[in-house]
Amino acid sequence: MLKVKSLSKEYNSGEHILKAANNISFNVDDGEFVSLVGKSGSGKSTLLLLLGALDKPTSGSIVVDGEDLAKKSDRELVRYRCLKLGYVFQSFYLVPNLTALENAMLPMEFAGLATNERKERAQYILEQVGISGDKINRRPGKLSGGEQQRVAIARALANKPKLILADEPTGNLDSETGKKIFNLLKELSRSENTTIIVATHDNNIAAKTDRKLTIVDGQLKQDK
Amino acid sequence: MASLIRGFKNAFRSGIRTVAIVIILGVSIGLSLTMLVARQAVDNKISAVKSSIGNTVSIQPAGFNSYSAINNSLTVSQLADLIKIPNVTAVNETLTERLTTIGSTDLSFGLQSTNSSNATTSLSSPVKLNLKRHLFKAGGGLFFSGGGSSSIPTNFSLPITIIGTSNSQNINGQSLTLEQGNYFSPSSNSDLAIISSNMASKNNLKVGSTFQSYNVNFKVTGIYLSANNGALGNAAIVPLSVEQSLSGQSGDVTAAEIFVNSIDNLSSVTSAIQKELGSNVNVTNAIEDANTEVSPLNSVKTISLYSVIGAIIAGGIIILLTMIIVARERRKEIGIFKAIGASNLKIVSQFAAESSTLTLLGAVVGILIVILAGNPMTKFLVSNSTTAGTVGNGRFSRLGSFGGGAGGRFVSGGRGVGGVLRSNITNVHAVIGWDVLLYGILAVIIISVIGSVGIALVISKVRPAEIMRTD
Repeated sequence: MLKVKSLSKEYNSGEHILKAANNISFNVDDGEFVSLVGKSGSGKSTLLLLLGALDKPTSGSIVVDGEDLAKKSDRELVRYRCLKLGYVFQSFYLVPNLTALENAMLPMEFAGLATNERKERAQYILEQVGISGDKINRRPGKLSGGEQQRVAIARALANKPKLILADEPTGNLDSETGKKIFNLLKELSRSENTTIIVATHDNNIAAKTDRKLTIVDGQLKQDK
Repeated sequence: MASLIRGFKNAFRSGIRTVAIVIILGVSIGLSLTMLVARQAVDNKISAVKSSIGNTVSIQPAGFNSYSAINNSLTVSQLADLIKIPNVTAVNETLTERLTTIGSTDLSFGLQSTNSSNATTSLSSPVKLNLKRHLFKAGGGLFFSGGGSSSIPTNFSLPITIIGTSNSQNINGQSLTLEQGNYFSPSSNSDLAIISSNMASKNNLKVGSTFQSYNVNFKVTGIYLSANNGALGNAAIVPLSVEQSLSGQSGDVTAAEIFVNSIDNLSSVTSAIQKELGSNVNVTNAIEDANTEVSPLNSVKTISLYSVIGAIIAGGIIILLTMIIVARERRKEIGIFKAIGASNLKIVSQFAAESSTLTLLGAVVGILIVILAGNPMTKFLVSNSTTAGTVGNGRFSRLGSFGGGAGGRFVSGGRGVGGVLRSNITNVHAVIGWDVLLYGILAVIIISVIGSVGIALVISKVRPAEIMRTD
């Protein structure tokens, strides 16, 4: 599913060069649930941004589903993010003036699905992640943190992506809610055969994933 | 479609800001449409004035003073070749004399019926105007230009105009409409005359009647309406050759009117005639008069055009800056959209819909403003502009004497074009039609496009990775 080879990302701060990702290589199979573990600033988020084609590597390659991201045009990368990728953020990043349903429908709108179809599917996914009834018509401000993250997960699943990247999805949640959200992701990975890569600094969460990749100062130190 | 609907809804995301932007845009669009309406109204007025002038060129000897062309008359031979100038369709020649005798009761002055018992004249012993000029200046002109003084001296004799013409249907650019009788032939050398209805009424003349002038009996063949003929209200029109012969000015003319096939050719024909006749002859056309008189309106046109452009640019800058601020405020939202698969085009279209909604609402306010202020603003601009223009150029007093009354017209001896124009020039009425709405929509489109350019610039620079990293 995912092949990362000699991936590096450097930031030039003027005085010195910061290597946020330093010669990282790993593969991930279909349906695998992988955790990226590391301290804050270790390079987890940078790696996720590179995998999500939201940033460009300084060197190295990322091949997703047989396609090299480096060879794709900007337009093709937009399609990649829209159709093959789901992104879950620590701060949820829901659009505040749209309802839960409208937020979940967004990626399908960008994919060009008809209104009825995307509404039907959004309702179904929201129900799958535990958002139903009048909550689907509530705006994010009227939902709890856990509920907002569920909506964000529903949005990430909207276009049935093959790869979901989750950056500290439980970081802004209390431990009980965080556990529920993590279990939800794990369940989805199994039921939908979706590859999920979760960045976390919580070793307890990482221990429950199929595989743990430890990042230290931009380098992959451990893969087990 | 969903992104457009979202953009429309986003326009109302912040109520206070929406109201503020709509009001500012409304004023800007309203101002531009008001100026557009003013420009249209003025443009229509200028066209109407010019089209009412007619396509003729006037020729008079340089220094010519109405009816006193004694030493500097034109000659028929001088004018003979003018018909050959391209685009000239006809040449009408006139020889004008002023005849007066104090004390006679043969033929009375036609106007001012309540006072004219003191102002009579006879055609039996003609006296040329230049011999009586002091009397004319002290009396005729002033008595009537100011609206009619009743203090005409006892036994004062007003002059009567005799015009010899090669075309009795049109004198000095004015068409004569006959009330009774017929025109005489252009080549006639008989002692025939057509007179004004004022003159006929005052002197009990009818078609077929005779009156005496130059010791010759003239037969009235036609009577024309005085009311529409200003300076010709107290004239007798006779064949050119007869007038030349009786006045002892054989071969002379005091003025000529050249007809041109199109108003567009007036300037070129005027130049050609001037070249043909030399600098001792004044060659003018009414378009030049009209251009002079409508020049204040042209100023209004220019001001309004710049205002239209300025207001649209101002509107564009307002929406541009507004949408740049809005887009910058929503950088995170734009970054999220990009991260979850939205193309730049999708995001730009959403923000463009938002700016278009705001601009459209601004246009509604603008149209309300133009409905309320369009006509008053036009009148204000025209009024201020024409006052400044005429006083500044010293034309106001001249126009007053041209248009003031019968006496004024005697002094001019012409057609009183300035007076006619002056009376109408400020009467400009702005009409707000469908075309204004279309222009309003066009303004909305222009402003929205400008706004969208700003949005696109901001959106294209938003990098989701930076948003995620800095959050």
